[in-house]
Amino acid sequence: MKTKQTLLAFAGSLALGVAGFSTSANALDVTIDDIMNDQASVGDILSYGLGPRAQRYSPLDTLTKDNIKNLYPVWSFSFGGEKQRGQESQPLIKDGVMYVTGSYSRMWAIDIATGEELWQYDARLPEGILPCCDVVNRGAAILGDKVFFGTLDAKIVALDAKTGKVIWRKTIGDFEAGYSYTAAPLIVPTEAHGPLVLTGNSGGEFGIVGAVEARHPDTGEMIWRRPTIEGHMGMLKGEETTMTGTKNETWPGDMWQNGGGATWNGGTYDPGTKLAYFGTSNPAPWNSNLRPGDNKWSSSRIAINPENGEIEWGFQSTPHDGWDYDGVNEFISFDMNVDGETVKAGATADRNGFFYVLDRTNGEFISGTPFVKDITWAEGIDENGRPIYNMDNYPGDPAASADGKKGKAVFAIPSFLGGKNWMPMAYSQKTNNFYIPSNEWGMDLWNEPVTYKKGAAYMGAGFTIKPLFDDYIGSLKAMDPATGEIKWEYKNKAPLWGGVLTTAGGLVFTGTPEGYLKAFDDETGEELWKFQTGTGIVSSPITWEQDGEQYVAIVAGWGGAVPLWGGEVAKVVSYLNQGGSVWVFKVPEGLASR
Amino acid sequence: MPDGDIVFDDRVKVMAPLSAENQFHVPITVDATGLENVEEIIAFADLNPIPLVLTVRPKQALAYIGFRLKLQQTSPIHVGVKTADGVWHVGGAIVDAAGGGCTAPAAAHGNSNWMQTLGETRALASRESDANARMTLRMRHPMDTGLAVGIPAFYLNELVVKNDAGDVIAQVDMYEPVSENPTLTLKPRVGRESDTLRVSTRDTEGNTYGFPLPIPAATDL
Repeated sequence: MKTKQTLLAFAGSLALGVAGFSTSANALDVTIDDIMNDQASVGDILSYGLGPRAQRYSPLDTLTKDNIKNLYPVWSFSFGGEKQRGQESQPLIKDGVMYVTGSYSRMWAIDIATGEELWQYDARLPEGILPCCDVVNRGAAILGDKVFFGTLDAKIVALDAKTGKVIWRKTIGDFEAGYSYTAAPLIVPTEAHGPLVLTGNSGGEFGIVGAVEARHPDTGEMIWRRPTIEGHMGMLKGEETTMTGTKNETWPGDMWQNGGGATWNGGTYDPGTKLAYFGTSNPAPWNSNLRPGDNKWSSSRIAINPENGEIEWGFQSTPHDGWDYDGVNEFISFDMNVDGETVKAGATADRNGFFYVLDRTNGEFISGTPFVKDITWAEGIDENGRPIYNMDNYPGDPAASADGKKGKAVFAIPSFLGGKNWMPMAYSQKTNNFYIPSNEWGMDLWNEPVTYKKGAAYMGAGFTIKPLFDDYIGSLKAMDPATGEIKWEYKNKAPLWGGVLTTAGGLVFTGTPEGYLKAFDDETGEELWKFQTGTGIVSSPITWEQDGEQYVAIVAGWGGAVPLWGGEVAKVVSYLNQGGSVWVFKVPEGLASR
Repeated sequence: MPDGDIVFDDRVKVMAPLSAENQFHVPITVDATGLENVEEIIAFADLNPIPLVLTVRPKQALAYIGFRLKLQQTSPIHVGVKTADGVWHVGGAIVDAAGGGCTAPAAAHGNSNWMQTLGETRALASRESDANARMTLRMRHPMDTGLAVGIPAFYLNELVVKNDAGDVIAQVDMYEPVSENPTLTLKPRVGRESDTLRVSTRDTEGNTYGFPLPIPAATDL
């Protein structure tokens, strides 16, 4: 046979149109309006934070201070697998189905009526992922018939909510350079592009550059990209737009090129101002002597216009950070009553130990109040919102030391794990208080020389965390944002690492590393109820209504940054066991009215 | 097997080795070109933990496919071929095998940077006659079954061949038992003119791979 052969060798992945996928008769259809209205609609949970403002406040009042004693588990679902580790996820709820993510970039859909699994998705992670602070995931987003979540190899994946099959998957960053992703994506409306899926990135300990990216929910196509560090160019529809800041205004030399500012804790959105609020991590490296200047926009809150990815305003909580005081903590929009006037405010409890209230329309500073004890790095916050540094207690320059290898060590409060870390606080529309999961600890800190190398830790600092008090580290506080007054405090032996939920029924829920989900009186802090889940809790509780009953759920599984970085704190947590499960509670029939 | 009458039919030829020399790569050839109007071909390894191997819809291809599968133990390989009248014609073969083809980690995972070569493809197309071509491709992919401890399922699950005009030649749905680095042979129907086959594939993580495959004109023979 005479044949002419054609031999081809071809490598690579051309992006081709994705084949169509069938939609079942009862396909999910979550609209952007549903998401914007999530807080008021108690039958589902369609966003991270129970609403785009992430107040973590539910208007449900079926569960009360009186009947909470009757709250019992309905079912528990195990994530299984040999790899457990920290479970920091907040589930979503839609049409009787729970969507929950877990460690190692896994996700499950569970039938709430039975507790049975509908599907499981396991991301196929490459060897060599570089998560700094445990292999966690904090949750998913939902829109249309898809659920979205980020994976530890810095991808965002869109799954068919009915089947768990991958619809699209896109790269946020190069995992070999230290990029990863752990936060829940944020879905925002736009006039120009329709709803967009916003993601941040992780990797501030590896000299990555923080960014917020917006993608089309159907295709994953990137619409815009906004780097957080000055000198880097933004993108819109494949074209370069504006530079973030002005190159070298607050960064020396080329240090901005690996400047950190990771947006690793996600963002919030206010439908009133139509702004997306993201926090940014520590500047890189930790050794601040290497980068004189304010180092914008590291350790900041930035407000981004979702139409074009431009920064509308920025507020830097820790300029020229030298303590790893990331500014990533959630910025919660709320209306503050001051002398009968309503202020369009936003609040955030920073790693650096201060609770900030800003004008959410323009970022102007309103107040800054300590929410942890004995802060040493700053004397306070001045009238412009800038910290008054305590320069006597500033970590020294290694270059000034005798051998050039270790700068003067200082003892700083709070520790680098922060007055408050990633775990989200809650704002009650009933009491107008914020409920802040905080920790009382300090650290020995010293700087060391360091140079950037791709994929290697880029820190240049050494540290040891130390408790401040014998009997507790964790501290859940109720704070009045208008006055800065702390109304009550619950003290916990181990550091608190889980989010908070509050309800119109007058309850405040949070979990403890010791394994308890607890409910407190929102006015007095009295502990009203607790349940032992069998492993530490480092996640955020939710509540919703189904078939006329109020449900509560919490993900359990000890881990996160504390056991990895905790220094002397390890003494109070080393005995805690890992796990991986989600617990669902309600009041059994017949007990609700008692 | 889906709805429809089922008949055993010698015209569904399933060619397989008597014994699997390598239970990770058992070559199977299915030739149902003796049947008219074939709509779908489904292959099963009955005693595999995941029996369904692949499904082919040969829109404009001969009722023919060559592939390799993983075999967990000695098993019949059954192939159902659905014709336009709704009848399933079934043929089969038995392959003797030692254990373990589906539950061992892919060979790729001996190398920590296996992901960098994911989707690398070698493909070969030739003209067999005035009316059809023959194409064989091999793609780098671990085809993880999810049954090896600690390794989630991850496999190529879609392959579509179109001609240059965009008409679908064949669609192949692949499942976990298809061998690592899948090797597939199809016989597209083509005209006498030169043409370019457009092959696109996608895996369960949404990675997409595509390449063109030229077919010489019949006058070049």
